[in-house]
Parts: sequence; structure tokens; C-alpha cells
Amino acid sequence: MSTNSDDDRNRPVDTDRRRAIEAEGLELTYADGTEAVSGVSLAVPEGEFFGFLGPNGAGKTTTIKVLATLLAPTAGSVHVNGFDVEGEAQKIRESIGYMAQETSVINEMTARENLRFACDAYGVPSADRGDRIEELLDLVDLAAVADKQAQDFSGGMKKRLDAAMALVHRPPLVFLDEPTTGLDPKARNRLWDYFEEINDRGTTIFLTTQYLEEADHLCDRLSVILDGEIVADGSPETLKREVGGEILDVELDDGTEARERAAEIVRSDGLFGDDPIVELTDDGISITSREARKRGPDLLVALRDAEITVTGFNVRSPTLDDVFLAITGEHVDADASSDEERVETAADPSTAADGGNP
Amino acid sequence: MSTDTVDDRDVVRTSNTFLRDIWTNFMRWNINAIRNPFVVVSSLVQPIIFLVLFTQIFGNVVTGTLPGGISYESYLVPAIAVQIALIVASSSGIGLVDDIESGVFQKTLVTPMNRVAIFLGKTLSELIRIVIQVVIILVLGVILGADVATGLPGALAIIGIAILFALWFLAFSNVIALITRDQESTIIAANMVQLPLLFVSSAFLPVSSMPGWVQTVATYNPITYGVDAARALMLDADVMEVLDITAFGGIWNTLVPSLAVLIVLDVILGAIAVYMINRASSASVQ
Repeated sequence: MSTNSDDDRNRPVDTDRRRAIEAEGLELTYADGTEAVSGVSLAVPEGEFFGFLGPNGAGKTTTIKVLATLLAPTAGSVHVNGFDVEGEAQKIRESIGYMAQETSVINEMTARENLRFACDAYGVPSADRGDRIEELLDLVDLAAVADKQAQDFSGGMKKRLDAAMALVHRPPLVFLDEPTTGLDPKARNRLWDYFEEINDRGTTIFLTTQYLEEADHLCDRLSVILDGEIVADGSPETLKREVGGEILDVELDDGTEARERAAEIVRSDGLFGDDPIVELTDDGISITSREARKRGPDLLVALRDAEITVTGFNVRSPTLDDVFLAITGEHVDADASSDEERVETAADPSTAADGGNP
Repeated sequence: MSTDTVDDRDVVRTSNTFLRDIWTNFMRWNINAIRNPFVVVSSLVQPIIFLVLFTQIFGNVVTGTLPGGISYESYLVPAIAVQIALIVASSSGIGLVDDIESGVFQKTLVTPMNRVAIFLGKTLSELIRIVIQVVIILVLGVILGADVATGLPGALAIIGIAILFALWFLAFSNVIALITRDQESTIIAANMVQLPLLFVSSAFLPVSSMPGWVQTVATYNPITYGVDAARALMLDADVMEVLDITAFGGIWNTLVPSLAVLIVLDVILGAIAVYMINRASSASVQ
């Protein structure tokens, strides 16, 4: 491992944009033999808003913990802000902010005391402390409750305080591990604004998320991780183009049997060329194809001939969820809820397709 | 990106010093204690109840059996001081588990703070609580009629003994916390050993008045040595019954073996705790 070429490759590249994160063949196997990350390579240039996407258990948090020096990699070379995670962990800790998945603030302390503790922990010069704390309280909208104990805060307020604590030392690189999981949309939007603002100031952000909408909204570039390996990489736009076409959502009136018959018609009739991707959805079927727009009407006719009642349809551009489906064969944020449950909730108007009847 | 923004982002750090990190954590846990007055007060309630009840109920009976006309108040106060140390030390692990469960433990580990300083600051805050509470008990004891035969230096030495005694149990509490990683188990484990151990020691009654098997248990019970050391200072006498040592003369016949036992215990359990804490905070193990 000590040849010159290896050394050169492992050093941060001094081009016009330096690398905030550079990982080569990162592997992590836990003591019990579980291989959480198997050979992840990443390069995140300074100033980028980078998204790390994957379902639960894919290895996102393990990777972020290695980058934040909480776990030592089993194999691979990992540099953060130009420092080696194994030999220079202390220097990395000084130069990163880390917001863990589970909100962690000191409940007994007020918001201001929490921030002061973080300032002390990161050695923020005492002359800067006061201003820095006020500025962050303003930024995360907690100035009005600065002297209230954190235990009385709502989940969203705690998250915002947690985020502020990760930024007291103005780190050039911030890790956000699923920062908005469990928040209501309003609180989530506020955090998004806040993350965009610090990114605009030049801070590199490494974000993991299960929400594709979040990645689409915030990130310059994404990597998708599945079972400990990176399976796709690119800007949200590039990834969406890779889906290969548009999506035709067809909403059907009848149950599972009708959906399966409809899917069979799509596959056997060759309406959509060679290999359309057909998926059974909550309330119908979904077809991904370059021919989606052109062939849509033909499909409707075919379905009517087969006496399948169509209650709505819609042609749309792919979302990141479609990207994810195409790459991994599963929805990124599909949790434990089974198909049965999804069918039941399909009666809810908010889940109906765009073209559906009210 | 312009160089301006890069300069703007450059972090000006006062390098964290070891002492500064200790102070940061010390103050954090002090605030914690102040904001939980119920916990602080309730850890004083049981010892005060013991002190008042035992002296009132057993005082008349026991005082007659104690050698040299010692009052039961004077006899009991050192034991209550040790009990205080025991109670506060047992809560140490609870604070650690709380931190692990809430994620604050991990949060402090990603900061550049020195890991040893993180724990020293916390321990120091707990020791300060012990000092304050032991002082309260000593004052209360004197008000109830106890007498510190060795005077102020002896009283200070009793505080020292309480700290020395607290350390091994504090380490034990943290070890239990790191093994169970669960608040309730830590509380139960600490409470389970506390009270029975107090009773089968020299704390409340002379060991010689107890049945043979209790005397055997008391001989191997660390609490006996903490209580005996504090009591020797309180009464200015060689009070140790479990070991018959005469080599040092007077109160040193109690102090030397007691201190030896406590120091050995502190070192052994301290080493185990440091090892486990290191493992818990080191990057290579989850």
C-alpha cells in the first residue's frame, strides 16, 4: 500500500475544487460478522450538497459514522477534509459538524446553554462565542425560546437546536444523517431553508435521507447505496433520465385481479415496445417507457376491450422514487407497510392519481 | 468558489486544553444536577432518615453496648457519610446510560474534546456533590449530638475517605451501565447491592454483636473498610473489628488497612471502568 501511485491517489486532489471527502474501497464489518458496508468509494468536492440515498439498513449510517470518526473502517482508505480517518481523527473532529439520526440535545440545558456547551466542546474562541450563539439562535428560529430548557421543546425545535450545535465552529463540512425524519412538512421546510443557506455560504454538506423529495430538492449530486454498495451516482436530473422514459399511471376500479390482468395486457400486447417496466401500484398499474405518452390512448382502448374499468390516468416525468425502483426493484421509502395495507389506504383521496376522479 | 468564502469558513480554534475540557464537562453535569433538584434532594433524604431514625430508635439500646461511652450519634455519622458516597456514586452510571440512550454520548465523542477529560469532568461533578452532602450530614450529626473527636482536620479527612470510598463504587456503577446499557438495570443493580451491603457491614452496629456468618461477610465487604476508616477519624480510636492489626498504633491500626483496601479496590475497578469506557468510545467497536 505504500507505492507512490497509491499515496498520490489517496491524497486529496489539489485541483480547482478540493475534495472534502474521499473514500476508496471503504469496508466495515461489525464484530459479529455483519458486513454493513462493502467497498464504497466516494469523492465529494468542497462546497457540494451531496446526497447519500438508500433504504433502511443499506449502510448509510455506518458510512457516515466512519466518515465522522465514530467507527474505524475494516478496510479501505478514507480521507475527510484531507485528513486520514485512522491517523488524524482528532483533526477531522475539529473540522466537521455532525448531526446524528436521533436528535441529541442536553434536555436539562436551555437552548443557549446547549450552544455554549457546543462552543466549549469545539473550542470556539471566547470572543466569538456570544455573537456566534445569537447568530445561530436566529438562524434556526430559536431566539425567542433561547432560555427555555430543551426538554420542553417540540421534536422540530430540538432538531433545529441539534443542527445549530453541529455548526457552532463553522465547520467546512457538515454531516446530516436523516435530519428531517419524523418531522412535519413545515418543520422540514424550515430545516431545508437552513441547510441551503449554509451550503450557499460554502459549507460542504453530506446528507443521508430516505426521502427522495428531500434529495431532489437539496442535492447537487447523489449516490444510491444498497446492501452496502453504491449502485448509482449522478445529479438528480441525470438519474431521472436514466429511468428511460416517462411514467404512465393508470388507476383501476377493481381489485388485485384487475391490476394483474391489466399488467398482463401491457406485457403481451407489445404496445410499449421491447421492455416496458410494469408495476402494480396501490390503485392500478404504472408503466415506464419512452412510448408512455404516445401509446397511452391505445392502452386505454385495450383495457376497455378487456372490460377493465379505468378511473383515471396520468403521464408524468420520473421522480427519484422511480429511479430508485428502476435501480433496486424497491421503493426507497417503502417501509414495513405491506401491499394489503396500501390497497386499504388507496381509498384516501390524497393517494389517488392525478388524473383520478374526485 | 472565491478565496473569500474559504477564508470566511476557516475555523479559528482556541486549541482545546485538557483542563478546559474537564471544566466544560464538569459544568455541564453541575447544571444537570441543579436542574434536577429532586434527584439531588432525594439522594439526601434516605441518609438523613437513617441518621435520625436510627439514633432515635436504637440510640438508647446501642449506646450502652458501645465501648468507652461513645454516643450512637458519633458512631453512626461516619456510616451515613459512607452511605451518601454510595448513593451518589451509584447514580454515576445512570447518567452515562442516559447519555448513551439520548445520543449525547455519541455527540460528545465526535467533538475534539479529550475523552478522558469528558469522564473526569463528570466524575468531578459527582465527587463535589458527595463533598457537599457529606458536609451536610456532618453538620446535621453534630447538631444531633455527634462529636468529631479529631476536630476539623478529622472532619476533612472523613470527606477524603468518602471520596476514596466513592471511587470504586462509581467505577462499578459505570461498568454496570456499560454492560447493561439500560437505565433501569443500572438503577436496579446499584440499589440491589447498596442496602444489603450496608447492613452486613460495620455501618450500623458493632460487627462483634452479629452472628458468625455476618461477621464473615462483613470482613469481605468493602463498606466495612470505608465506614471503619471514617469512624476511626470520628472517634479518634482503633475501631476495626474484622482485622486484628496492631502494627501501626492507635487509629492507624484502622486507617492503614482500610485505606489499603479502598485504594486497591479503586485501582482495580477504576482500571476495569477505564477499559470499558475506552472500548465504548473507541472507533473500532460499535
